[in-house]
Amino acid sequence: MQVLTISTDKPEVIRKKRRMHGLQARMLSDRDLAVTDAFGLRNQLIHSGPLEDDLEALPVPTTLLVSSSGEVLWMDLADNYQRRSGPEVVLVALETHLNAP
Amino acid sequence: MTMTKRKKLGTSLGFVALTVAMLTVILWFRQINMVAIPGDRTLFVIAFVIAAGLGLMTFVVGTRWFGGIAAAFAILVGSFFPFSVAISPQQVADNPIHVGDTIPSFFALDDAGNRFSSTDLAGGPVLIKFFRGHW
Repeated sequence: MQVLTISTDKPEVIRKKRRMHGLQARMLSDRDLAVTDAFGLRNQLIHSGPLEDDLEALPVPTTLLVSSSGEVLWMDLADNYQRRSGPEVVLVALETHLNAP
Repeated sequence: MTMTKRKKLGTSLGFVALTVAMLTVILWFRQINMVAIPGDRTLFVIAFVIAAGLGLMTFVVGTRWFGGIAAAFAILVGSFFPFSVAISPQQVADNPIHVGDTIPSFFALDDAGNRFSSTDLAGGPVLIKFFRGHW
């Protein structure tokens, strides 16, 4: 199962943080929000990021399960950045959509 | 009440304020680590507002300098968290991707500086996670 992450971190920041969390995933840098906008996930409400960054917006935290043909099977879009679905929600989605006959 | 007694009371209030603030912060981060911040965070906001309120009362009553520092910290923490709750809602624009859609083609650089294209994904299912940043 491939895992892809997309954030506005610069590549060197991702590289540095990867050593701390050790996630085995392809981690992409989306500084100009091109990928975020292609998916329509730019946050329209109050922008709150680190002060030293010159970003004008951030993606809404979202998890998508995509089939091998590129179809979105399941997605979880955060309505609040302080509340995220836990890993068990993702696991249930994986079991439901990938193990179904 | 004499000035000394008031200052003693005020100083104690400052530390009560700080204690309320710190206990609430600890509980808050515990919930974050368990990915279990509740949908209704009213109780958290109330606790933080109480901490800030007690901090303000400390200065009204009068306090020794160390009580003042404790109170100032309680006011800072107590104000910051309700503010962060207020700015936390997220909303996408009118036409985001939906279940059933095909994902768009895209490309970006990965953390090693290599170019990634969505065509690299062909062949298997993928879990894609958009997040704000490592901070």
